[in-house]
Amino acid sequence: MKARLAYQAGSSLIHRLHPLIKMAWLILLTGLVFLFQGPGFSLVVAVALLVSFPLIGKKLTELRGFRILLLTAGLICVLQIVFMNSGEVMLQSGAWRITREGLARGLYLGARFLDVILLSYLFVLTTSPGELAYALMQAGLSYRFGFTFVTALRMIPLFEEEAMIVYRAQQVRGVSYQKKSPAEFWRNIQAFLLPLLISAMSKVEALSISMEGRCYGRYKTRTFYKVRETTRIDWLAGVALALVGAAAVMIKIWEG
Amino acid sequence: MIRINDFSYRYRGSNVDTLQNINLEINKGEFVLLTGPSGCGKSTLALALAGFLFSQSEGVYQGVITIAGLDPGQEPIYQLADQVGLVQQNPENQFCTLMVEDEIAFGLENRRIPREEIEQRLTWSLEAASASHLRDRELISLSGGEKQKIALAAILAARPRVIIFDEPTSNLDPPATGEIFDIILDLQRTTSLTVLVIEHKLDFLNRAGPRLIEMSPDGSILLNPSEKEELDFSPPEYKPAVGSSLLEVDDLTLAYDGRTVLSDVGFNLVPGELVSLLGGNGSGKSSLLLSVMNLIRRDRGLIRVLGQDLDQYDSKSLGRIIGLVFQNPDHQIFAGSVWEEAVMAPKNFQLDPDDYQDRANFLLGKMGLGGRIDDHPYRLSYGEKRRLNLVSVLTSQPRILLLDEIFIGQDKKNAHFLLQLLIDYVEEGNAVVMVNHNPFYYSRVCTRLMFLKDGGLALDQPMREGLIALRDLGQTAYLPGGEL
Repeated sequence: MKARLAYQAGSSLIHRLHPLIKMAWLILLTGLVFLFQGPGFSLVVAVALLVSFPLIGKKLTELRGFRILLLTAGLICVLQIVFMNSGEVMLQSGAWRITREGLARGLYLGARFLDVILLSYLFVLTTSPGELAYALMQAGLSYRFGFTFVTALRMIPLFEEEAMIVYRAQQVRGVSYQKKSPAEFWRNIQAFLLPLLISAMSKVEALSISMEGRCYGRYKTRTFYKVRETTRIDWLAGVALALVGAAAVMIKIWEG
Repeated sequence: MIRINDFSYRYRGSNVDTLQNINLEINKGEFVLLTGPSGCGKSTLALALAGFLFSQSEGVYQGVITIAGLDPGQEPIYQLADQVGLVQQNPENQFCTLMVEDEIAFGLENRRIPREEIEQRLTWSLEAASASHLRDRELISLSGGEKQKIALAAILAARPRVIIFDEPTSNLDPPATGEIFDIILDLQRTTSLTVLVIEHKLDFLNRAGPRLIEMSPDGSILLNPSEKEELDFSPPEYKPAVGSSLLEVDDLTLAYDGRTVLSDVGFNLVPGELVSLLGGNGSGKSSLLLSVMNLIRRDRGLIRVLGQDLDQYDSKSLGRIIGLVFQNPDHQIFAGSVWEEAVMAPKNFQLDPDDYQDRANFLLGKMGLGGRIDDHPYRLSYGEKRRLNLVSVLTSQPRILLLDEIFIGQDKKNAHFLLQLLIDYVEEGNAVVMVNHNPFYYSRVCTRLMFLKDGGLALDQPMREGLIALRDLGQTAYLPGGEL
């Protein structure tokens, strides 16, 4: 079965990393693949990412949309190779030619596309959104923002489920979305959204009673029962992050 | 502990008082059971006692409420929350976090209680709610009953002096209902908590001898609650499932996410049958109803409707033969007026307007909705919406009705009214399969009992024999009053 683009519990090294360290790596590597505009670095990152998926217990072929991702990356690469004609010619056939710059640019953009998507995929698959929100709040993010995120996460599966029920309830009463005029289609969509809106309002009311009834917002700050301790692996990953970041800055300074 | 003097409340925009001149006194440690017809204001009273009515609604009130020495109309919610806890109907809608521990700690963290004390309270409240084994679980993975235990533990952890339960078991199957009631009774016995439970299911809690208070439809308190519930009509006769079937199901098997939901289910349904489909939460009842409507694809099995293979029907022609009423009334209201809602299905099925309009008029009148045809359906009370749900499928004259928990939140009067309607319907040569968790109703009205367990049809017998077999299987929670 294809893995959903959502957190998948696991015990791999990447799963166990502190969510904030993981987020920092995501930001740093994404920044670096844009900063170093040659194929070398992006290809290294792409290979490292492709290798890391089996380490978190996921086969690449199990990733939802992986083929489309590969095809898109390949297409980006080919388009650059075909249409970027300036620079040293490596291969020529009539008016069509492949240049060294076109090849480098194609490989860079294709790999960069893969990097950005796979980095995000790896982060989402291995990071519990709840743990991330709590880590952010403990790092200083206002808990009002943090719990907005957490409650939204709670509600998404409920709304997905309700949307399916409403759609089925429409079906059994003879509502069809096929072969309809735009006006009729729009009417059906409105009728579909109304129950969801009513349900959302009642959920918000119940949730606000629940939150207020448990003193949410009573003080500007709050305590936290679970505090994510920093492990030796987190420290190592943090130091490595700092070194990679510093090295990137030095290389850029050296390159002028 | 609670004193209410001449209290009335009117919601903004309404021209009647939802609560009328209420006078009530509840002592410390008392166990009070509050009942009354749907829409009479029970939940409004609960919201008033916990203070939410004054902070969230811009209504007008008269009179005075004092609870644990505080005035809910004046005190901020967080002051009241230290004294009063409210457990709402649907636990799913009141969770603020993703994990059990986080959920229970949530209120304590907001109160800036230190970690060590949170740890103590968390352990205690989970034990009190018989939920210690759920401590490390994700909320989404819990069953309905387990979720309600966690909602209760989250309130208990704040150590309130008064705890109010607003129909805490309305979404639960009989075994889970029994468990929640046991926990409530245990709490009441072992702590000095003042407990107020709003419930329609009185049988179980009545055994603990609570003080019973009934509210009247106009929102006032009745001092002399009505007598035990009795049905004043005759159930339909038992029809053996032989002869020409309306519905035949054979070897129905269905799985999702690698989990078997239905396994080798088979039964026939003949005209005149009123079948009670029982089983715990997650036993496959809803999946069975959806499979029969071809709304989910089965992995294996044959379903015939009026002798024809289910797959030969399109959704419209199937909808004309089988009507399905879902559990939540708000999920199945689509039109802008009661009338449009009532005639929506026959219109979509392109039936003769002269025919279905007469029928809609007749049914709306019979359901007490004749004077409301121009109103928006969302302005109806819960009980009225439920009746409209039923009208909206009956106007197409289906031969089979599949009903998923249409009695939730119904008071005695509404429930009796619907039961009579179903009896009339099957006596016209139609058939009903209903999922319902109230043993009092199905044991007295249904002709046949089907019991699903882990996706398999564990029992399929005439009602009387079925109840005996349920007892023999140890499923006593499904028996009326817990016994035969």
